[in-house]
Amino acid sequence: MTITEFHDALKNKKTSVRETVSVYLDKIKTENKKLNAYLEVFEKEAVAQAEEIDIRIQSGETPSGLMGVPIAVKDNILIRGHIVSAASKILGNYVASYDAFVIERLKKAGAIFLGRTNMDEFAMGSSTENSAYGPTKNPHDSGRVPGGSSGGSAAAVGGGIAMASLGSDTGGSIRQPAAFCGVVGLKPTYGAVSRSGLMAMASSLDQIGPITQTVADAEAIFNVIRGKDEMDATSVELGGPTAKRRTDRQVQKIGVPREYFTDGLDQRIKKAIDGTIEKLGKNYEIVELSLPHTKYALACYYIIVPAEVSSNMARYDGIRYGVRKEGINLLEVYKKSRGEGIGLEVRRRILLGTYVLSHGYYDAYYTKAQKVRVQIKKDFKEAFKEVDVILAPTTPTLPFKIGEKAKDPLSMYLSDIYTIPVNLAGIPAISLPIGWAEEEDSVKLPIGMQIIAPHFEENKLFELGKIIESWKQ
Amino acid sequence: MISKEDIEHLKDLARVEFGEEETKKLAKDMQDILGYIDILKEADVAGVASASWRMAYSIDLKNVFRKDEEITHPLPPSLIDSFPEKFDSGHGTYLKVPAILGEKSL
Repeated sequence: MTITEFHDALKNKKTSVRETVSVYLDKIKTENKKLNAYLEVFEKEAVAQAEEIDIRIQSGETPSGLMGVPIAVKDNILIRGHIVSAASKILGNYVASYDAFVIERLKKAGAIFLGRTNMDEFAMGSSTENSAYGPTKNPHDSGRVPGGSSGGSAAAVGGGIAMASLGSDTGGSIRQPAAFCGVVGLKPTYGAVSRSGLMAMASSLDQIGPITQTVADAEAIFNVIRGKDEMDATSVELGGPTAKRRTDRQVQKIGVPREYFTDGLDQRIKKAIDGTIEKLGKNYEIVELSLPHTKYALACYYIIVPAEVSSNMARYDGIRYGVRKEGINLLEVYKKSRGEGIGLEVRRRILLGTYVLSHGYYDAYYTKAQKVRVQIKKDFKEAFKEVDVILAPTTPTLPFKIGEKAKDPLSMYLSDIYTIPVNLAGIPAISLPIGWAEEEDSVKLPIGMQIIAPHFEENKLFELGKIIESWKQ
Repeated sequence: MISKEDIEHLKDLARVEFGEEETKKLAKDMQDILGYIDILKEADVAGVASASWRMAYSIDLKNVFRKDEEITHPLPPSLIDSFPEKFDSGHGTYLKVPAILGEKSL
């Protein structure tokens, strides 16, 4: 049931919030053992909240906003009074002392939190295999990964054990798992949603967004969580057509960048996107274009991200919170607490970041990457002079097998090659399912495609996304 | 080429520990990743003015000022609860941290 369908059913008294929440909680009990999408389920609290909202509806209140909507939350977003571990051992016992801005907003809108979802530790990974609490499985094939780092949130929606969820996207961590799990994932414009209460990974790129069953649901959650927040200096109040929720046609010209359709792309994904483009060609002008700096995006990202990670992760030192190990001196306390409490991928990025920022290497790596980042941003700016939106594959491959890339970090990094440029440029993008591909073992796997828009023009993503989605019916 | 000594030095700088097996693989992985990011060397960035990359944020940021006002933030008990070591001194809760001077600690 989508949010729209749920609210219709509530209005017509076909269901109650309590009934719907109970259906989800029951399904979680049987399904989560297989999927490992949730690290913790807030059963009692969810039921109590549901009953409270039912009373409000019974006393005449019309269901609005996100009233009664059961949502799963990625384990790096703070919910006051609940453990929030970022799927790391070092924060295994850490209880959030405040609500993230987005949680405050969702609470006010009447949403119900089903639980916290599994992820790659501190959001570093593309498969959810880097969790200290075991990998999440893909709901369409348990032998495959759900993507990452918001793998738990995407698997929960794809597996029908959450109506919607929240994730965070630094280089594709909402869109890539959404594509792998056959659901919709929105990475808003950098600054559209406050990062207050989101554990920082790479602060110049991180952004919270919804993972949902439909584009309309993603829009509904986005409209609740967006906005200026005093606690995040980079957050801004949206103006323009997105804020005004304009419904007149905004998209006429669609750009297709040739750099996204090269040899590395799975032919089945290419075919599905070609089919979509052909169909769109009847009502839209399709423009082939070039984003020439695309080939540098991944390298640029893997300098900027580790650099910011090495700084942001310094706070997990075993002194202030989390797990502290004993040592003969302070340096050893730090090294042991971090060595035992933090997983390999996160430590690898801390080390890499320390390296690229160190004396003698800083200019060759970090300065160069920042300059290339400006060029990547410029590519999009030029393209959006010609077209309203850009279409591209979300991932180069279909969901891969568990363990397939876990030993080779570079091959794992490559799975985000199509999502990363968007983060570097700070623009919004939505991934939506556009078809299925059959594997040898007759398993059907979802195919995702992303729509990319200029800064703060999420409305264009929703407009075109809904049209493509309507073909399915 | 990243040497064994470099890796050991970086571990100290970054305050992280790696096991023996992890360290062996780490050198190889770092080499692979650094080899890959070398592609940036060929990127032409001559046209990027220094002012623009120093502020290379993903959206165009400008300084925003707010009033310099005093705000009191209540200290939630859960913040103290999450501290790894603490004790009651008789006049309030003390938070315990390792010694930072000398070799004696904890």
